[in-house]
Amino acid sequence: MTITDPNTSVAQPFSHTINLPWPFPDDLTAFRYSVNVEPARVMRTTAGGSWGTHIVDLTNADYPQVMAERRRILDADPGRTQILDGMMPACWDILVYYLRDLALSYPLSCHLAENGDRFHWRNDLLGTDQVFVLGDLTTLPYDPLSFLGREIPDDLLLVKERDGQLFFDAGLVTFAAAWSVSFDVGMNFREIHGPVPRFTGEGLTSRAEQFLMHLPTDSVYRRVNWTLSASGSRKLDVSLEELPEWGGDMPRLVRDRDFGNVQLRIELEHFMRLPMSGAITFCIRTFMASFAEIKAIPVWRDQLAQVLTELPEDLASYKGFIGHRTEAVAWLLA
Amino acid sequence: MTVISPAPARTLDPRKPGHQHPSFDTGVRSLVVTAVLQLTAAIVHIVFEDPAGGMLAAYEPGSHLIVQAGPVRNTYSLVDDGVNPNRYAISVLRRNGTAESAGSGGSAWLHENVRVGQRVEIEGPRSLFAPVTTERKALLVAGGIGVTPILSHARAAARWGRPAEVIYSYRPGSGAHLADLRALAATGAITLFEVHNRTDAAALLAERLATQPMGTHAYACGPPELVDSYLLLGEAAGWPPDRLHSERFEVPPQDPGLPFTAIIASTGARLAVPAGVSLLQTLLENGHDVANLCRQGVCGECRIPVRSGQIEHRDHVLSEREKADNTTMLCCVSRGAEIEVDL
Repeated sequence: MTITDPNTSVAQPFSHTINLPWPFPDDLTAFRYSVNVEPARVMRTTAGGSWGTHIVDLTNADYPQVMAERRRILDADPGRTQILDGMMPACWDILVYYLRDLALSYPLSCHLAENGDRFHWRNDLLGTDQVFVLGDLTTLPYDPLSFLGREIPDDLLLVKERDGQLFFDAGLVTFAAAWSVSFDVGMNFREIHGPVPRFTGEGLTSRAEQFLMHLPTDSVYRRVNWTLSASGSRKLDVSLEELPEWGGDMPRLVRDRDFGNVQLRIELEHFMRLPMSGAITFCIRTFMASFAEIKAIPVWRDQLAQVLTELPEDLASYKGFIGHRTEAVAWLLA
Repeated sequence: MTVISPAPARTLDPRKPGHQHPSFDTGVRSLVVTAVLQLTAAIVHIVFEDPAGGMLAAYEPGSHLIVQAGPVRNTYSLVDDGVNPNRYAISVLRRNGTAESAGSGGSAWLHENVRVGQRVEIEGPRSLFAPVTTERKALLVAGGIGVTPILSHARAAARWGRPAEVIYSYRPGSGAHLADLRALAATGAITLFEVHNRTDAAALLAERLATQPMGTHAYACGPPELVDSYLLLGEAAGWPPDRLHSERFEVPPQDPGLPFTAIIASTGARLAVPAGVSLLQTLLENGHDVANLCRQGVCGECRIPVRSGQIEHRDHVLSEREKADNTTMLCCVSRGAEIEVDL
């Protein structure tokens, strides 16, 4: 299978590792949570390829399949889009931001024509052709957040500052890692991060919250986070809503000693302050690569094995792999 | 396979992680004046547009624009709803104060000098007086030239269908934007109350503050006596303080700090750090490869050891004890005097 990169026209073999935002700096041997934010839209080369040139990555061949899965989930469970009262302007804000950015990032595939508040969006990769008027819900087939969520693979989260703290007031999330958008929406930053060990206690929640609250309007930042997926398949939707669908996956994988299918799950987050609403994005793109794919890249294999082995028990337990990490690492290094 | 030509390569400055699309630019830039309108004897209305005809950065209701008004940089509230704008409009009161009183020089300069077709340097918009998204209704209180951010709130409320009520206190003949507010009221989008002196304003405020539905947020902008009266009456009517928002005419632009000197311990080199430029930037420009990420004083990456000097800590990372130790600083935001850095 090959793909034509929509930006460079270079045909490249489809690969889960070629655009993987490898989550560890070269010299890192021990992982702890930190406010590891950095400027966005800066390309990084890795042992497997490169990533990070654009805010949204449409370059890999599985884009149409991922979007088909996203749309299937939204059709089956409209509750994956949550917009609290007063957040509709922010949803228009994020729609306009991303469409403008996509048209500049992928000028050969994504097109946006503007005439005042009238927009004409075309996405050749998905066959979308839509005219809409900013602020007029009747001109779109879905609310603006859902419309955007059906065009790009990122989970879209909007937080808003009130009374000196941040609240998660709108989101479209189909690929949550063991959490639920309909449960978390409306929570403040502390409530959302309460379950993360060593996060709030070590002041990281307040530093992360301070960072987002002070985010200037002229900058875009990003952060990479990681875990091992709760499923030994390519399933992106390991949300709490779907727990019955994936809850048995890891016990089965361990029983079958199928460690090559353990998935390193990487979340690339993008933060920006949207100008019209003042809402802050916390968008999350999920990438995955299997242990079999990582094993083929020795630098990654060795570093991941080292990080997993060193990780303290509470973190390994929170990330959900305390039970099988020894065997999984042994498989990696075998 | 279709052969398609590559997109033009863009060079990205990794030290300025900004937006790709020009309509999100909020930095210092030059706009052209497209209209100058005398609203009252003392208030002039000025409209700026992108000389290339592009859309400008959107803004939250109640935002302000920083304007290079001759020799000074002043801030003025924007009067539109902020949704996908192709223009920035401000209304400027000419003050009869002395030259020392803040802002008077700039406002007089704008009154005397601004003409259609002229280029003016602006920065922003910046938001410090935004509506709370969870409000069920907005009670908007304007006094005199304080009508400018209130009009912006009222227009946004009308645009998004949020209930709003406006109290406008002005001296007869000096009511800028009165026609705009009356036009909004005529459509049914807002309710408008007009009042012309302090006694009537206090009575009306007391009445309206007492009759708002649960979940209302109030916003006031005007002269100090009106804002003080509003806050007192609101408190007396049982309003929680965090639902009584207020803005007094003008807010200062972000503090750029004072110029200072940094000394490199290893070489003895003295580096001048100008106002508005960070120590981090100065170190990078002089070949000192200091690790950094957020550049806002929250990630802790650019923490550097300091041997001596006075430090003004402006970060969110160091504890009070670490700050008091005077041995380390976050060079992206913190400043000081005669700082000897251990590099």
